[in-house]
Amino acid sequence: MSGGVTSRWWLGGAAALVVAVLAGLGVGPAGIAPGAIAGELLSRLPVVHAGRPLGRLDATVLWELRAPRVALGALVGAMLACAGGAYQAVFRNPLADPYLLGVAAGAGLGATAAIAYAGGGELLPLAAFAGATAAVTAAYLLGRSVGGRATATLILAGVAVAAFATAAQSFVLQQNADSVQSVYAWLLGRLSTSGWSDVLLVMPYVAVSLAVIVAHRRALDVLRVGDEEAASLGVPVARVRFAVVAAATLGTAAAVAVSGLIGFVGIVIPHAVRLLAGTSYRVVLPLAGLLGAAFLVLADVVARTALSPAELPIGVVTAFVGAPFFVVVLRTTRMAGP
Amino acid sequence: MGSRRRWAALAVAPCVAGALAAGCGGSDDDRPASSAPDGGARAGFPVQVRDANGVVTVRRAPRRVVSLSPTATETLFAVGAAGQVVAVDEQSNYPKQAPRTDISPSQPNLEAIARYRPDVVVISDTSPPDLAGGLRKLGVTVLEEPSAQDLDDAYDQIRDLGTATGHTDQASDVVKRMRTKLNELFARAPSGAGLSVYHELGPELYAASSGTFIGGIYRRLGLDNVADKAARKSGTDYPQLSSEYVVSSDPDLIVFTDCCRQSAASVRTRAGWDAIEAVSDGGVTTVDADVASRWGPRLPQFVAAVVAGLERVER
Amino acid sequence: MIALENVSVRLSGASVVDGVSLTVPDRGWTTLIGANGAGKTSLLRAVAGLVAHTGSIALDGRESSRLRAPERGRMVAVVPQSPLLPADMTVTEYVLLGRTPHLGYLGRAGRRDMQAVDVAIGRLALRPLAPRRLDELSGGERQRAVLARAIAQEAPILLLDEPTTALDVGRQQEVLELVAELRAERGLVVLAAMHDLTLAGQYAESLVLLDAGRVAAEGPASEVLTEELIARHYRARVRVERIGETPVVLPAPREVAAR
Repeated sequence: MSGGVTSRWWLGGAAALVVAVLAGLGVGPAGIAPGAIAGELLSRLPVVHAGRPLGRLDATVLWELRAPRVALGALVGAMLACAGGAYQAVFRNPLADPYLLGVAAGAGLGATAAIAYAGGGELLPLAAFAGATAAVTAAYLLGRSVGGRATATLILAGVAVAAFATAAQSFVLQQNADSVQSVYAWLLGRLSTSGWSDVLLVMPYVAVSLAVIVAHRRALDVLRVGDEEAASLGVPVARVRFAVVAAATLGTAAAVAVSGLIGFVGIVIPHAVRLLAGTSYRVVLPLAGLLGAAFLVLADVVARTALSPAELPIGVVTAFVGAPFFVVVLRTTRMAGP
Repeated sequence: MGSRRRWAALAVAPCVAGALAAGCGGSDDDRPASSAPDGGARAGFPVQVRDANGVVTVRRAPRRVVSLSPTATETLFAVGAAGQVVAVDEQSNYPKQAPRTDISPSQPNLEAIARYRPDVVVISDTSPPDLAGGLRKLGVTVLEEPSAQDLDDAYDQIRDLGTATGHTDQASDVVKRMRTKLNELFARAPSGAGLSVYHELGPELYAASSGTFIGGIYRRLGLDNVADKAARKSGTDYPQLSSEYVVSSDPDLIVFTDCCRQSAASVRTRAGWDAIEAVSDGGVTTVDADVASRWGPRLPQFVAAVVAGLERVER
Repeated sequence: MIALENVSVRLSGASVVDGVSLTVPDRGWTTLIGANGAGKTSLLRAVAGLVAHTGSIALDGRESSRLRAPERGRMVAVVPQSPLLPADMTVTEYVLLGRTPHLGYLGRAGRRDMQAVDVAIGRLALRPLAPRRLDELSGGERQRAVLARAIAQEAPILLLDEPTTALDVGRQQEVLELVAELRAERGLVVLAAMHDLTLAGQYAESLVLLDAGRVAAEGPASEVLTEELIARHYRARVRVERIGETPVVLPAPREVAAR
């Protein structure tokens, strides 16, 4: 098959991620010299006795501030890109993104409520996660009750739920105008974490979600010939669809809960991977995970340094990159179909 | 005989006219001009004061003042104009006896203000720009007293509000007392030379740099301000910082306001912040959010809190 | 072999297949004929397990509705009327999809599977086209790709829904000859639905004429392809000629009404 081509892309993807991680650790407003950072990293290696550790403050910046951001960026980026690809596969729609079924609107409502009524803080990720899962569940139940297991019904139900949640969110904001700045900042997405605790919070969800999605990639390839033919080929279509959507939604909800609504990653990265490495989900899904991770870590570097020491919301960076890229995708090829 | 009656009529006429004029300015629940509490309230008018817009003429002693600025509210009550204030905005929570309404200072409803039939309205820079024009169209005298640039500006505003309400002497007293107290505090405070401060304005890591009113106070105490570099780079006096920047700047004194659920304990939970010495050895000071955000008569309280924090650090 | 007993299918409240019983013996080839809407496709889909039915459908002795999807996929291969061919898939990838019932829920293709794919591609003369994308193929080539996918499934039962529509006369013959050869080589059971009555008669052992969901006639071509049966159940005027043993169905010449 095309094994030769794809192994080149695996290496490329892994290399991109490594470069991104190094950039993420090395760059920032604290102005620590890269050589010093290299020394610190070396000094941490168990057996090798080389390099000099950084001073207390610099070490704190590196390990308590930058490293968790890089880790979170990689996790969230991988999750969003992979979930986006999974949604595009399940709904056979190149414009699907991980926020399709109301995840974004539900999380936004939960976060807004937490900020307006409880001042944010510890409750915020929980509320956002709860909002996201509630919205998707509502969309699913609504779609089922309306009848038909057609994917179009589910999407429309998601649109309805999202519209409602957004309206509710606007209402809450209107009543609590002093929360607007905090809510807006959350909506635009950020990776400025509370440190490793956020990473640990997200990791199990993302790990399970990615595992389920990637495990189903061949089944998703079969779904490309349509529900009926896939069923005749022995694929339990409804079960696959449910498993993938549930996993992708759970992972996305967790990612959104800690990092806000970072757009474009979920829709642009899978397309980019298709352009580069072909349309088989066997390749697209895992590779999208790698490239999504690298992309978001690099975007965070830009977010941290462009207006240093102030921070550009990362959603703005991904939009700046994503929007023109979208145009490129549309213009260069007929859209690589799902 | 007829001429005496004519003189009497002429003598009575101005009194009647005056009474009518007074009556036309208000209605049944007007407070009549009393003597002792307002002491000299009507003398000396019309007066001219300078506000942010230029020269404002206050024709008559104000009897129905509406304040849309918490600072102005404190000032008005401090200079003795309490009897002339009929309504204050929802955020004017000091002093307690101020007639608080639910008019928002940033999104005020013109009609709601007009309901109080004010003759003078005091606004600050939180009000929307078209408010002043709208009020003037209603025949109201508007005094714009925005955030003070420095201490002298703050004193001027107090004096202006005193003059505008007919309490010039009291206002001077208030300013003198403030000045004395502040000089005493600055003299007693340990030198901040060689130390740096980080004053956080809000949860998104917005800081006050030396170019601000608060920053000026820190400067007077000899403190460096960690936000200055960022202010220079970003061109604003209220730059937004990042955790990395603050941690690596290692400020010696950290000042928070008690809004937004921040405290020394919650600051310690921020990732990486426990590396800052000030966080673990008492260099974090919380100040009352209202006092820190106003530039009125309670200013010495803010400075006292900061000086106390500085003393803790020096020890 | 396929054994249908009193099979009925209801769609949107209407009965589209009504009490059909028929048997396709081992190595047999039965073709369903009938007017549009007679129930041919619905019957095929019921046999494929894609639509609910009442009555019994036994595939090689096993009740179809009790089979799980992968099991049924190993028994029945379907060549649909309008297959969805993803534009960007290569022929090889597409044929490989036929191995899905053998791979398990999360399985991956092994050497055995690649072998089956290779055989199918070779058998359908698709080797030069193997790395090409599906949207680069002509109509006839695409049909061969779908057939290759069905062959790669290595299922004993082959269902064909209008396999010759949209093909030129040469490709029509090509496809049906291939099916006939494959049937002989692998001992397949073939159940097809076709519009072209002559071709249907030429290749099938037995024809089943459906009308309004019921079996109107059943038997060899010479018995089913008669002018009255066709006139009655197709409401069409035809002439049935014979070329040797083979019935040839022709539309009757137009009778212009005398003025």
